[in-house]
Amino acid sequence: MRGDRAIYGIFIIGIVITTILIFYPAYHAVELSFQSRKSLISAPEWVGFANYRLVLQMPEFWEALVRGLIFSSFSIVLQIALGLSLAILLDRKLPGIALVRGLSVLPYLLPTVVVVLTFRWMLDGSTGIFSHLAQAFGYSHIAWADDPTSAMITVVVISVWVWTPFVTLACLAGLQSIPEELYEAARIDGAGAWNRFLHVTLPQLRPVLLVVLLLRTIWMFNKFDIIWLMTRGGPQHATEHLPVLAYRLAFELYDVGKGAAVSTISFLILSGFIVVYFRFFPLDQKE
Amino acid sequence: MVNHYLVKTLYWILIGVMVIYSVFPIYWMIVSGLRDPNVIYNTVSIMPGPWSLKSYETLLDLTDFSSWFKNSMIVALGTVAITITLSTLIAYSVTRLQFRGKMVVVGTMLYAYMFPPLLLAIPLASIFVKVGIYDTLLSLIISHTTISLPLGVWLLWGFFKQMPQDVEEAAMVDGCSRLGAFIRVVLPLTLPGIVTVAIFTFLLSWTDYIFGFVMISNDANKTLPVGLETMVGLYELRWGELMAGSTLIALPLFIMFSFLSRYFIRGLAAGSVKG
Repeated sequence: MRGDRAIYGIFIIGIVITTILIFYPAYHAVELSFQSRKSLISAPEWVGFANYRLVLQMPEFWEALVRGLIFSSFSIVLQIALGLSLAILLDRKLPGIALVRGLSVLPYLLPTVVVVLTFRWMLDGSTGIFSHLAQAFGYSHIAWADDPTSAMITVVVISVWVWTPFVTLACLAGLQSIPEELYEAARIDGAGAWNRFLHVTLPQLRPVLLVVLLLRTIWMFNKFDIIWLMTRGGPQHATEHLPVLAYRLAFELYDVGKGAAVSTISFLILSGFIVVYFRFFPLDQKE
Repeated sequence: MVNHYLVKTLYWILIGVMVIYSVFPIYWMIVSGLRDPNVIYNTVSIMPGPWSLKSYETLLDLTDFSSWFKNSMIVALGTVAITITLSTLIAYSVTRLQFRGKMVVVGTMLYAYMFPPLLLAIPLASIFVKVGIYDTLLSLIISHTTISLPLGVWLLWGFFKQMPQDVEEAAMVDGCSRLGAFIRVVLPLTLPGIVTVAIFTFLLSWTDYIFGFVMISNDANKTLPVGLETMVGLYELRWGELMAGSTLIALPLFIMFSFLSRYFIRGLAAGSVKG
């Protein structure tokens, strides 16, 4: 057909640019993980699998992996539970509900830096509003981010606050596409509210929930900035997960090869998860 | 009937709790930036005031906030321009071409969009050092494009796929070239999709901390999130100024959202957002 040559040209240009922009850096990341170099400008030396061997022998690596799993699983489960509840709450046709929906999205728009600074100010040990509130309830001093356990709880709670709206909106879109007749039929069959939720809402929302679970898992597992800005991985490494470890190795301990090895391993773990996930929950062909 | 009112009241109480939960930190950020810095540490009141613009004045006088704002704007708009152009062309050509392995191209786009940003940031920094554009705004535009381009192609691919080919073929029968049909017929129909991609690319670039943090060290080239974060160390945690700066970063996003929330929610529902 006329003009098809132009379209092939555009396609090839697009693929070349994408390859340069995305796949070359990804290839280079793997390449770096097989090299030993002290900084980004020093000459590389090929060391084979030495970085991987050394990284896998580091106790810090395994501790960071476990911490990352704790951080991501708690924040994902809470985001989905809260997001689904809020979506059900907001799935009404009432005056003013559009405004309420809009307000509930706002946390998601904020840059992570802004979120973290605001929470650090609210949780400030002596002058923050939450510390004042805690004092009013009789607690003298709360170590929000100074104690290993409460630091982890704090980063989980903040990430739930920021990213729940994503789940809410996705579920809300899913809820609105469930035909009303299904609920009617269930009601006629005598199903109560709980049974309607269990046997109509949940099965109908299944595709949405599966996509949300997949995307949230990928992003929470990789999440770097919220933890880095809130705690720098501390106190005493209590919140140091794989991305923070990779950053510290590459840019603070000047071991780019090991940092790249940690990133690559963490990407492989995630890819493994995705493969297993699709084995259990294959996406519909039409989607 | 009493029962009915009880349920209704309970419902609105729950909605109220949800709104307070979602909005309070944002409210507190705005209020703290506008409060007189002399009393910010001893005023415990939830109510705003005493009002003062002192924190904003100090922020703009003592820091490079305005040049950070300009840098962020240049990077965000640059990324949006490149992403829209490339993702429209790639997505269109993928949907209109018939060849084997087409789904592989689309699939790898989705896969690329799952790369951890830090996994891309380390090699990109190394490449930029080699090419000599490390620590420039251009390096940030390219970095942000690596994330936004797969996202844009993925979203627009869905758009072009749904669009019937008859429309453009009719235009071509009427004497348009393929390119003419694309510009005159296809592009206007795809505008909502392009706006959605533009919004998310802007959001992604404007809020990015990771790439700015890894790529930029010169104070003159900092973007807003990176610049604001460096203030924490410099001014011994003066929360009034930090909250004023936070408000100024969030404001453009809130304004954009209030005008374009329709496109925003469409994109979110399509599961197309990074974050």
